Amino acid sequence: MLCEQKADLDLFFKAKSVAIYGASATPNSVGQAIIQNFIKPQYTGKVFAVNPKYESVLGVKCYPSLVDIPDPIDMVVCAVPARLTPRVFEDIAEKGVKAAIVISGGFSETGPKGAMLEDEMCIIAHENDIRIIGPNCVGVIDTHTHVDTFFLPEYRCGRPKSSNVANISLVSQSGAFAAAIADWTAELGLGIGKIISLGNKCDVDDDDLLCYLGDDESTQVICYYTEGYDKDKGRVFFETAQYVTKNKPVLVVKSGRGERAKAAASSHTGSLAGSDRIADAAYRQAGIIRADNFEQMFDMAKALAMQPPAKGNRVLMITNGGGLGVMTTDALEAQDLSIPHPSRELEERLTDRLPSYCALGNPIDVVGDTDSNRYDAVFEEAIASGEYDAFVVGMLLQTPSLGMEITNTIANHQRRSGLPFVVVSMGGGFTSKAGQIMELMGVPTYATGEKAALAARALVRYGEIKYSSEFKKITV
Amino acid sequence: MKKAKKIFETAKNEGRTFVLEHEAKDIMKEYDIPIPPYDTAATADDAVKKSKEIGFPVVLKILSKDILHKSDAGGVKVNLKNEEEVRKAFEEIMEGAKEYGKKKGMEVDLSRGVFISNFAEMGTEVIVGVTKDPQFGHALMFGLGGIFVEVLKDVTFRLIPLTKVDAEEMISEIKAAKILEGVRGQEPRDTQALVDIILKVSKMIEENPEINELDCNPTFVYAKGDGALVVDARILIGEAKADH
Repeated sequence: MLCEQKADLDLFFKAKSVAIYGASATPNSVGQAIIQNFIKPQYTGKVFAVNPKYESVLGVKCYPSLVDIPDPIDMVVCAVPARLTPRVFEDIAEKGVKAAIVISGGFSETGPKGAMLEDEMCIIAHENDIRIIGPNCVGVIDTHTHVDTFFLPEYRCGRPKSSNVANISLVSQSGAFAAAIADWTAELGLGIGKIISLGNKCDVDDDDLLCYLGDDESTQVICYYTEGYDKDKGRVFFETAQYVTKNKPVLVVKSGRGERAKAAASSHTGSLAGSDRIADAAYRQAGIIRADNFEQMFDMAKALAMQPPAKGNRVLMITNGGGLGVMTTDALEAQDLSIPHPSRELEERLTDRLPSYCALGNPIDVVGDTDSNRYDAVFEEAIASGEYDAFVVGMLLQTPSLGMEITNTIANHQRRSGLPFVVVSMGGGFTSKAGQIMELMGVPTYATGEKAALAARALVRYGEIKYSSEFKKITV
Repeated sequence: MKKAKKIFETAKNEGRTFVLEHEAKDIMKEYDIPIPPYDTAATADDAVKKSKEIGFPVVLKILSKDILHKSDAGGVKVNLKNEEEVRKAFEEIMEGAKEYGKKKGMEVDLSRGVFISNFAEMGTEVIVGVTKDPQFGHALMFGLGGIFVEVLKDVTFRLIPLTKVDAEEMISEIKAAKILEGVRGQEPRDTQALVDIILKVSKMIEENPEINELDCNPTFVYAKGDGALVVDARILIGEAKADH
């Protein structure tokens, strides 16, 4: 029942031969920007241009029609005016292509006339088993296969890369957000697997991609930006998510907390509901983590991609700066996490191994003159005690005594224990570099205690979702 | 389940989008949802007889396909302690309904008489409700009644069907949850009975998707071990008015 269309979507990401309908020789045009992506050396498939106006575009042979191309085609990217698309789809059907990304706008988003065109196109597609992404979208980026239909020149819109550690994939209803996030995550250096812009969702929708990405080995965390669902589609998405979230974290940013739907309700319950509150409940119930904005979503996604989920909600904060410790534990508390004091036994063990002026509590403050050995001692004892499910490590590198081996100490304890760690490291250039190194070693690093606390919260919340009854929750 | 279908059919044939109170209670009874004893009566004599069977005090409410908001038509009389009070209340309700009809310029159907219910002992007021969202379908709402729902909107939602864990979470996640745990010397409330009602309502909606909106308001929850009662229930059927 669930996720049966999966095989069809493969073509969108693994197309080995792509035809660009509406390829153009005009500089700075959509039809040219797309073809530019496919002639980059990293794309190893074949590309064909289709446009009766040209013999060739950027050195790519241009055919008057799709059916004139002698080679088989896996996917068509359609960038022609909306009124021409039904004709294009007749060609696609004749050629036997099964996947089409329709970049063009001018469909249902513009009114009834456009909606009729969209219907016409969809009927042809449906009758011929052609799957459509779009229309009115920027299409897809796959960082592994380098299929890239974003019509945004790379010097303006950076392209994210895949990471060897773990990758996040994003599905966005909005094309502009998809592009901005591609650009932004490229800058941040976050590992991205796929970015898909859905546009009008005339065929492929949120649910299809949830199925697909749920099974996609190159995606470790699934992120969504949505403005809402078509009638009953929210329910379908919810049902699929209940399965997917057991295996992979799913995060959502949903805009439109509006209250329009409430006005017409005639019962008490209806007047209190409002669609956003229902969506919120549905997300929670399906194990989807909702973020308020993109920054929060990617702070959480980064942690979920790099670290295992927590098996309980007890968090220990270790720091070499008192202020950072207090701020971070405040933030952890605000995230409803449990921050228990070490047991008397653990405290005694730590007293034996740390200088007397270290503060033993939660946070444990190994103070400003520490080197990595004190962290090592704390990790060893705290992990062995079994009293904590997750660790937040304050790493202030302005002090001369703390060397770069601290990153090894943290990464080693994380790997050996299998427990989730996040690092908070505030500062400037040196600190950012150290943070990058820490992340190359697989431990997510944040610039503020609040962000680190949010990341810890995501790891705990996902543990709760994944392990359900086996998750050990201490009431805060 | 069959009973519910028949009730919906009758309502539709009469052009109603709501279910009469005794019909709502009949459906809920099928699902074993706890409700105070009730009956209907078309005449004053009958009302007295049924009230005695149910046990005083009782509540009388108008039962008419033409009246949805019963209080507006003077159609609700509560805490009736004896035969005389019931008889008087019945007459007043009938008069009130006629008046209401005159004002609205329509003939109010009075053939069904009144709904009679035992006047439930006051408990902690909660609300269990259902709404149908165009994107997500049926969702269940839970919250404390009175100012908690009116002013603070302290309610929580889950999509139907719910699991037991969902129901337990709902009860513990509202901001005023402490009130159910027992505050200021009050005994803890019977939250298990609430879980039970929530799950039964969930099942009822799952099997009767025609129900568009439901309010079990108020629902009284008593001290632990003493259960809970759905005192008033409103069921709306037909297509959702809310649209995107």
